This record gives sequence, C-alpha cells and structure tokens, in this order.
Amino acid sequence: MFETIGNIIKEYYKWILEGVGYTMLVALVGTIVGLGIGILIGIFRTIPTPRNKFLKVLKKIADFILSAYVEVFRCTPMMVQAMVIFWGFALVNNGQTLDVTLSALVIVSINTGAYMAEIVRGGIISIDQGQFEAAHAIGMSHSKTMFYIVIPQALRNILPSVSNEFVINIKDTSVLNVIGFAELFFQAKTIVKINYETFATYLLVAAIYFVLTYSITLVLRLIEKKMDGKKNYKVLGSQNMDADSYALEMRGGKND
Amino acid sequence: MIDEQVTQNEQEIIRIEHLSKSFGDHEVLKDIHFTVNKGDVTCIIGSSGSGKSTLLRCINLFETPSGGQIFFHGEDVSKTKNPDTYRRNVGMVFQSFNLFNNLNVLSNCTLGLRKVLNLKKAEANEIAMHYLKVVGMDAYVKARPKQLSGGQKQRVAIARALSMRPEVILFDEPTSALDPEMVGEVLNVMQELASSGLTMIVVTHEMSFAKDVANHVVFMDKGVIVEEGTPEQIFDNPAEERTKEFVGLNK
Repeated sequence: MFETIGNIIKEYYKWILEGVGYTMLVALVGTIVGLGIGILIGIFRTIPTPRNKFLKVLKKIADFILSAYVEVFRCTPMMVQAMVIFWGFALVNNGQTLDVTLSALVIVSINTGAYMAEIVRGGIISIDQGQFEAAHAIGMSHSKTMFYIVIPQALRNILPSVSNEFVINIKDTSVLNVIGFAELFFQAKTIVKINYETFATYLLVAAIYFVLTYSITLVLRLIEKKMDGKKNYKVLGSQNMDADSYALEMRGGKND
Repeated sequence: MIDEQVTQNEQEIIRIEHLSKSFGDHEVLKDIHFTVNKGDVTCIIGSSGSGKSTLLRCINLFETPSGGQIFFHGEDVSKTKNPDTYRRNVGMVFQSFNLFNNLNVLSNCTLGLRKVLNLKKAEANEIAMHYLKVVGMDAYVKARPKQLSGGQKQRVAIARALSMRPEVILFDEPTSALDPEMVGEVLNVMQELASSGLTMIVVTHEMSFAKDVANHVVFMDKGVIVEEGTPEQIFDNPAEERTKEFVGLNK
C-alpha cells in the first residue's frame, strides 16, 4: 500500500504539486476577493435610509439586486453555478469559452462573496451601538465611522467565519473539475485514468487536503490570538505612584 | 439694562424652546425650555424614565426632536442637514464609556482631531496628551480599552470629548456604570473641569455633585421640567411638591 502511494508520488509529484498550487490559488484569491465583495455589500446595506426620496428609491432597488445576488448564489450548488457561468459565457461569446483558471477565480470569488456578505453583515450588526454613537458624537460621518471604527472591529469578530470559508473553499474548489480546471481533484482523476490505483491515489489526495486545511486552520488561529493582544497593561515610565501601584495590581501577580 | 441683554445673548450657547419628543404614542418630552450659557454647569436630575437622557440625546441630535427648536448660538440646529458638523462643537460622554475598542487610549483621543478636524499627527498627539494629563491618564497612552478599569475608561472618554475642544460637553449619567470606588475619580475630574470654566450639561443621579458643582439644576419628572434654579433653590427651598418629594428621598 505505502509502496503504491510512494510510487504515485514519485511518478506524478509534478501533477500533484500543480493541482495543490491551483487549488490554493483559487481558494486564497476567492476568499480574499469574496471578503472584499462581502465588505462592500455589508457597508452598503447598513447605510441609514436616505431622506431624499429619489435616493431612497435608488437604495431600495440596489438593496433588492444585492439580496437577489446573495440568495441566488447561496441557494444553488457551486458546481451548477460553475457550469452555468462557464457555458453561459461561451454562449454569449460566440462559443469561445473564458480561460479556465480565470473562470475558476471568478466563480469562487462571487460564490464566496454571497456568503461573506451575510457574514460581514452579521459582524457589523454585532458591533455595539455605542461605538457608532461615540463616533458620531465627535462629528464623524457614517463612512468614516464604518472605515475607522466598525469595520476593523467587525473584521476581528468575523475572522473565525472567514477562516471557515477559506477552509471550505480549499475543499470546494474540487467541484471545478467539471469545467476542466486542473486543481488537485482533477489531477487525481487524471492520474487514476492512467494507473488504475483508485484507492491509493484518492487516499493520498485526501491526506493532502487534510494537511492543507489543517495547517491553514492553525495559522489563522495564531493570527487571531496575536490580534487579541494582552489582557493587562504595563504603565509607561513612572510618572506617578498611583499609576505604578495600579499597574502592579493589574498584572495580577504575573510578572512579565 | 440693554447692555446686559446683549452680553447675555453673547454668553448663550444653547437655547431650547418648546422641545418635544415622542416615540410612537409615548410622549417622552413635553414642551421643554431651557438655556445654557457659557461656563454653566447644568445638572439635570430626576427619577428614571423622566426623560432626562432623551433630552440630552435630543440636544446632540441623536434623537430627532418631534417638535420645537434647539438653538446653538442663536441658530436653529434641530432640522439641520448636517448634524456631524454641529456635533463637533458638542461633546458627549456616555454612561457605558463607548471607547473605540479597536484603538488604544491615545488614538481614541486623536481620531476625531485627525479624521474630522484634519490636524497633523504631531499636533493631534500634543492636544490629546494635554487632555490625557488633565484626566490623569497620560501614563496609559498605549493601553487598549479592555485593559482599563471602568473609571479609567470614563476618564479617557472625557479626554476624548475634551480633545475636540467643543463648546459644551454633555454627560449622560457618567458614573452610573461605575462601582462606588471609581465614581470618585471620575467626579473629581468633572469637578476640576467645571472649575476651569468648561460648559457642561450633566444628567446625573449624584445629588452631591449637583449640589456642590452645578450652578443650575433642572429637575424633570414625566417628561416635563418641574422646577429649575440654583442648587440652593432646588435642594434647600424647593417650591414644587414633586421636587420636595424627590429631593427629600435623595438626602
């Protein structure tokens, strides 16, 4: 068994690495672009309803289009979306299909964007109303409040969900084999067609997927921890006794 | 006599006339009148649900008044299209501090200076440091809000409001979320600010603060101003029965 797997690696490592590369590229770009889409939609959806009647109608229409986008992409499988977009493009483009890698990037990005829009909206809603009020109280506009106060905090809060999306994307890129995208699963399928070692090949691929997703999970957890910082604070210098004794108290016996 | 009238008008910062506010059918404020002059420390007292916090939030336009006017230096701001510009001149300190959780102490104070007033970093830092010294929090510039105690948070929040150098600062029950030991440190800072001539409107349950520091006390009940005057008038010689009752209970 291990010999067979060893042989597969020896023989096809270039294909496998290529597959890993494509899988990671699409998962990473798709997650980042998707997050970008999600943030834009999240901000737009939380803009307070304008008083101007014309703007109000405009916002209503835009809101409708955005929720249609979110619901359509959340309520259909990505494999089907891939087919519809890939062949739909070919249809309007005189039978000429879009480059497969580019198609893959576009499909994963807009699919992820639909999920991210909901995640970001949840992140924004979770921010205490007091943060908005404090920002408005010093004269900040809605967009400045969002940019400097709300979005940074919302991003921190949604990081676990974003990590989750990233991990899902690494695995879900495998459905893009239907448009012939040379990601890891597609490569495995090709290898099996040559060597007929179905079980060994897919076992190897499963192990690679696991290592990819699990190591990414660990890295993202580390980032989360880093972002949270320390719970206590050491007073700078020694301007006054009071502050120093307070610092001691706050360190809670733990010397650092 | 005429001269006096003129100087009085120049001194006036906020004048409220016929202010009312309803949430649905519920009338929270009814026909409120009062004036705040430069250097005034106005304390608004009254039991919970009397509308005092709503009044404060109307002054800041966090709540849109249902009727009446709010004049800021003689100009009606109650229907302004640009509340952000008006709010630069009217600071606010909240019961729950509301420090920006993603920023450290210094950045909490400089954000408005840099992004609203467009000051240079060095200048903004200098102003913020000055006010952090005033509230005794200058040793904590790099601390995050979650690393501070409640009293420290509130002092930073006061420094943040002061940094914008507004003409008046509104305090919405600034000590209600603090434990008794920390109430003192915040009240001391507020007392110092009052004696330095800062114009303040304070909604509070701290009767001793209202008595000792305010020069104008407004007693509210069920959405109306029952009685207003100097602390001596309100606390020692209340004219209205309801005031007597409230002040008596809080002795």
